[in-house]
Amino acid sequence: MSETILKTEKLIKIYSMGKRKVSALSGVDLNVNKGEFIAIMGPSGSGKTTLLNVLGCLDTPTSGTMILNAKDVTKLPEKKLCEIRRQDIGFIFQTFNLLPYLSAVENVELPMESTNRPKDERRKRARELLGTVGLSGREEHRPHRLSAGEQQRVAIARALANDPALILADEPTGNLDTENKYEIVRLLGRLNIDRGTTIVMVTHDSQVASHTERILYLNDGRITREKQGTHLMKKKLMCPHCGSKIQLSDARCPSCRKRL
Amino acid sequence: MGALTRAVRNVSRRKMRALLVIIALGFSMAIMISIPAGIVANQEATQTLATNFNSTMTNMQLEINKTSTLIECRTSSGSGFSPSGQPDRPGFGSQQSEVFENETIIEEILSIEGVKDVVPYLEKASNETTTEIITGPGGREFTITRSIYTIEGVCLNSKFIHDYSILPTNMTSGRNLREGDSGVVLLSSNLTSYYGMKVNESVDINGEPFIVIGVYEPSGQARMQMRVAIMNLSEAQTVTGLTGKVSRLDVYANSTSYVDEIADVIKAAYTNLTVTTYKDRLQNLENMQTMYTQTVSNAQTTLSQTQSLATQEILIAVAATSLIVLFVMLYTVRERTKEIGTLKAIGFSGWNVMSQFVLEGILISFIAGVVGIAIGSVGAPFLSSLLLPHVSLFGGSQSDRFRPSGLGTTGIAESQATTAATLDPQLILLAFGASILLGALGSLYPAWRASRIRPAEAMRYE
Repeated sequence: MSETILKTEKLIKIYSMGKRKVSALSGVDLNVNKGEFIAIMGPSGSGKTTLLNVLGCLDTPTSGTMILNAKDVTKLPEKKLCEIRRQDIGFIFQTFNLLPYLSAVENVELPMESTNRPKDERRKRARELLGTVGLSGREEHRPHRLSAGEQQRVAIARALANDPALILADEPTGNLDTENKYEIVRLLGRLNIDRGTTIVMVTHDSQVASHTERILYLNDGRITREKQGTHLMKKKLMCPHCGSKIQLSDARCPSCRKRL
Repeated sequence: MGALTRAVRNVSRRKMRALLVIIALGFSMAIMISIPAGIVANQEATQTLATNFNSTMTNMQLEINKTSTLIECRTSSGSGFSPSGQPDRPGFGSQQSEVFENETIIEEILSIEGVKDVVPYLEKASNETTTEIITGPGGREFTITRSIYTIEGVCLNSKFIHDYSILPTNMTSGRNLREGDSGVVLLSSNLTSYYGMKVNESVDINGEPFIVIGVYEPSGQARMQMRVAIMNLSEAQTVTGLTGKVSRLDVYANSTSYVDEIADVIKAAYTNLTVTTYKDRLQNLENMQTMYTQTVSNAQTTLSQTQSLATQEILIAVAATSLIVLFVMLYTVRERTKEIGTLKAIGFSGWNVMSQFVLEGILISFIAGVVGIAIGSVGAPFLSSLLLPHVSLFGGSQSDRFRPSGLGTTGIAESQATTAATLDPQLILLAFGASILLGALGSLYPAWRASRIRPAEAMRYE
């Protein structure tokens, strides 16, 4: 039995717009197991970003419960939520959200600043993480000197900085070209397999979503259906298209040449 | 990668904005430094002036008391004020306003009942003038125009020398004049230093050779002392081309009871003479005292008004600067809302965010403090004179009527005071601290607002 890392029950989020109440989430029941890589899909206005904000403790639900890493975070004050965001959650944004006046390595170091790690150790870990995402030698570059794909890799390294239990990615490929899009998805998949990182990714791109383990469809603030992705096969080092043996580093299947 | 490094980078990447705040804060701080420095300088000047007035008045009172039987009779000659007119001897013009009396007047006055002695003098300022800048109390500077020197002829009669102290007493070198001296001159020390002369050297005064017999230290305040050459009366008359003429007569009565009567007779008989008695001198002293008291009182009133104005100016500067810092930081917070959201999303607390912005405000104000000290150090005198009203300490030229006799005349042709503001290190430190405090206070509210931004809302902000 897999350990549950995130569980929500009847999660509701209602926004007040003057006298009008807008329901963004209408009772989301969600169960994410440790080490899972799942995608949440849905049309615009279906509540994807709201759900991600609530799951990431950036926003609080109107009602319902949410258990993250065995802690009920539903009613926690902002100070506690801040600690949870620092320790248990890593964020990846569509627009990367790197600080333009910091170098790549300084951006990765940033979440570790409020921890007790010594400065040298923080810098060492930031360099290691940049190496993990394939940016060795680019550590001292500022965001404007990196390509969009490289910037997103820095953002992924930053999300991993405090070794969080859960990574939440909001349209991480939304601002990337096709090549970089699949590079980033493959990187996330590899991190999930290599490091066992649990990833919840919001996307409206079905091609990208198909590379995950499980795809949840959100409609009118509710999860309406669920579908298996191809990531499970990759976890078994098998091509999801032809069943041939593959390596994790392969971008295409050596047998059928289809994109992995 | 600490908060300070981030603050430095944020300040440096928004150079124009930082520059605006730095200039505003810098000038504000320069004002904070300059104004009090100017006030302190004015206070010191006023205080010194008041002290000097009191001491001058006391000395004058003593001098007047000693000369109760003296009736001073002067012509309008001998002034050091801008000489002009046709000279009858080179270097000593007979000024249009100058009037001299014939020596025969001495015998006439001696014949008046109750007159004991008449001591004649001839005082004549040289035509050549010099403009000098002298430093007064509290570092104030004056520009004065006066004759280079004044010739003073005295009657070297042993009785006069002994009884009426017609010669200076404070000799610094050489010897004093005495009865029968001829071809010798006694110089004031400031005249010898002006021309670089020494005792026993020969000097040429309008073509007549003289030996410097002695040098004396003139009395009174050093900066106001006249340069005087004292010689035998007859030789002075020859040198100045005023043979048989006198400019001043000190008439001594047998007793104070005769003074008024003698003065009245002289006034009636010799309309060219200005006659002053003990009572006149006392009256003049009282007038002077009233005038000086008024001057000091005016200066003190202006000073207190200045202090109130200065407080208002400093408060306005502080308020304007705080508002500038406040609005600039508010704009910065608005501009960086998404960054604030990101920082909160990756685990920064409200306190971390707030301290980041306050640190940036302090950093800017620190730089502004350094700039302000630089501006203040260079421009304090200019700023204080620009922002503070001029404190007038001298209502007019000082009267020389009651100087100890025998020292010629001079006047302040032009008197202009400027305040020399000096910067106090304590004041600089205080203003520097105030600058940092302003920066911190001005950025406190924007920083607090930044810390209160909800991360989900901040992330949506474009």
